[in-house]
Amino acid sequence: MKELATIRFIGIRMSRDFITMILLLGVPIILITVFSIILGEVEGLSGTPIRDETVVLLVLGFQLFGGAITMNYVHQDLFAERKNRLLSLPMNTTLYGFSIMLAGIIYSILLGIILITYTTMVFDVNWGNFIWALLVITLMSSLSSIVCLVFTFSVKNFKIAERLSEVYGVGMILLAGLFFPMPDNALINMFNDYVNPLMLAYSSIDQVRSGGLSDGWLYAALLSVLILIAFGLLLLTGRRRMP
Amino acid sequence: MTIFRFALKRILRDKTNVLFLTLFPIAAIFLPTAEDGWPLLPLGYQYFGILLLFVSIRLTSIMIEDRQKGVVKRLAAAPVSHFNYLWQNLLAFSVIMIIQIIIIISGGYAYGHELYEPWNLTILYLVFMFTAISISLAWNSLYRSKESSFLIFMAVIVLMALLGGILFPVEMMPVVFERIAVIFPTYWLSEGIEWIVFGEDRGDFLFINGVLLLYALFFLIIGSIRRIS
Amino acid sequence: MVNVWRFMNIVFLIALWIYQDPPLVSFLFVISLAIIVCLRWRFRLPSWTIIIDLILCFLFIPLWGSSAYGLALPVYEMMSRQKYRFLIVVILLIALFELYSIVLLWLLFQAGTFGVWDASSKKQRERYITEADRERHARQALENVKEELLKSNRKTAQLAEVSERNRIARDLHDHVGHDLTGANLALEAYEQLEGREAEAMLNEVKLRVARSTAMLRDTVHDMTPVTRIGVDVLEHIAKEFIHTSVSFQRSGDMKLVPAHYWGLLEPCLKEALTNVARHSDATEVNVNLDVTTYLVRLSIQDNGTESKHLGEGSGIRNLKVRARANGGSVTVNTVNGYQVVCVLPLEEDKR
Repeated sequence: MKELATIRFIGIRMSRDFITMILLLGVPIILITVFSIILGEVEGLSGTPIRDETVVLLVLGFQLFGGAITMNYVHQDLFAERKNRLLSLPMNTTLYGFSIMLAGIIYSILLGIILITYTTMVFDVNWGNFIWALLVITLMSSLSSIVCLVFTFSVKNFKIAERLSEVYGVGMILLAGLFFPMPDNALINMFNDYVNPLMLAYSSIDQVRSGGLSDGWLYAALLSVLILIAFGLLLLTGRRRMP
Repeated sequence: MTIFRFALKRILRDKTNVLFLTLFPIAAIFLPTAEDGWPLLPLGYQYFGILLLFVSIRLTSIMIEDRQKGVVKRLAAAPVSHFNYLWQNLLAFSVIMIIQIIIIISGGYAYGHELYEPWNLTILYLVFMFTAISISLAWNSLYRSKESSFLIFMAVIVLMALLGGILFPVEMMPVVFERIAVIFPTYWLSEGIEWIVFGEDRGDFLFINGVLLLYALFFLIIGSIRRIS
Repeated sequence: MVNVWRFMNIVFLIALWIYQDPPLVSFLFVISLAIIVCLRWRFRLPSWTIIIDLILCFLFIPLWGSSAYGLALPVYEMMSRQKYRFLIVVILLIALFELYSIVLLWLLFQAGTFGVWDASSKKQRERYITEADRERHARQALENVKEELLKSNRKTAQLAEVSERNRIARDLHDHVGHDLTGANLALEAYEQLEGREAEAMLNEVKLRVARSTAMLRDTVHDMTPVTRIGVDVLEHIAKEFIHTSVSFQRSGDMKLVPAHYWGLLEPCLKEALTNVARHSDATEVNVNLDVTTYLVRLSIQDNGTESKHLGEGSGIRNLKVRARANGGSVTVNTVNGYQVVCVLPLEEDKR
């Protein structure tokens, strides 16, 4: 299991990547701060403050982009600059790819935890149960890492894979109606209710926050099903492309 | 005009670029009108300013690429002045973005959107386009790599849109933010859109465009700096 | 630094604008000033552009009173460019709009002082730069003179040798040559003569030979210098050194070494021995002088252990320059004790 020991070094590499850090930590903090100040204490339709709603959605939405780190590292190490060096090592590349994924997920979770703490400390945002929020964040970051890896493996051109991952992130946010309300279409509604991971994660947290633990479990289970499907796809595509 | 023609070719050679450049304005035409009275224009037209910013940073990134690959160094040795290089590139970007503006305005007119004063809207978009290009030019001059410049500028665009009153009406924000909003060029864009819908004093519209042009000049002066390394 | 100050002023104006919430039109003032500041940052604008600042202030002060704070920029500009006549305009503006706020006046005074300070520091910097340039120039000239001197040193030595050879040739020709030729003729005549005449002729020959022998001795005597020259000097120096025992070995034909080389080898040996006496704990010094057909090599090696930390003194550096001027080199090696090696090439015509 020496491959798993590389997680530490991948973590060190990630912690030195300041641009990613700015994008995944600095930007959300600024956005959340601005939104929180603008929205103030306005009450929403359902009784929870709009601020709580928006901030939770934002933090979860940024989790959608967390997979980009995993994707970049897998591409660099297994397909581009360091490919031949890694292949010459007495190491199982599949396991190494897996450990990159784990490191990416952990990194993304850590960023999520920082954001949750920041929002609760500074703006007093109600996240419901902290442990539950952590679980949902974990599910979200795993899903996004796996989905991004599926993109990496299924498309030959890495640039296109990157664009696809952006489409995944921005598209889910768009469909969730964060930028502007979506038209009231049965298909879109169904997608938001059962497939859109952002809405699933948000509903899960929202349900637990307002006491509906069983519904929360239901949404989390739906998310897990998505993860399982994505993982199956990952195995299928990865077997073909893995060096 | 060699540089101009070459810049156009470089931009259009990239297939994703072409897709990105045509698909988004066309998609923007079909976005619905908001029901609750804000934004005033159809959503696609309200957010078109954001799209212009995105497009301009994407287009100007070929100038960073030139710097990264050392083309600028070779140009410095070639019998081409930096000024020539700059204006021909900028002209190429402008031509592409003008086409986009024409697409969205004529498309919206054909689709039957209520655009109030299409000609003035075109002028407003054109002026904002110049501002957007010079802002991204100035932004790019701060960076060494294309990727980091683009990624961080995305966040800046969202912030500008947010604070400038494109995503939210400025009146909804706290008073301090309402005043700070004036600093952002996006504020003047949303003011211009408001003028087009309510259209009162002609002088106001000129003033708004004047401010945007001054912004364009300001950022152009910063961005036109020649960085070889 | 100046640009930081300029942009800080713009930031201050923007902050003031946001804080005071004046009519929207006055925002034009802030942007225009920002553009001018930007232009001044990128290019060196001519002095008349100060008028633009002043006109902007004149136009916008009625609209937004705090536009007067923008005057700080033109005031700085005119003071740093020493265009004092624009000050009248500023004073007129202050009088016209009755801007008697103490804070404003203090700010303008600060800006002016900053401008004056900037102008004087710029002047000083320019002076320092020209001074440094001049110094560098002088140093280079000195270096050139030194090279020339070393070259002419070598030439002088060659010239001296040639003229000495000429003198010897002349002496031999004028005196010894004449007498010997005379003696030869007299001897030939003696063979034909008999009796008293022959005796006189023989005496004549005797006299001439004796005279030319004396002349030859004199000439040789004149040629032989009283002081030691060449390898003898080095040997003498080595022998006279009392600090440690010095062994002197030589090999090769010393006559191949041109005269001016001794003038370099001698200080080289002296320098090395002085270093031994002053800095080293050596007990033994080996001096080797080898002359081959192509080069002269002088090596001074001691067995000291404490001289390793020594850097190069000016003595060695000087010798290096002189050796280089002759196409040779002086190197110092501190691996085993302290060793100075001087290698000089022998020229084509000397071989």
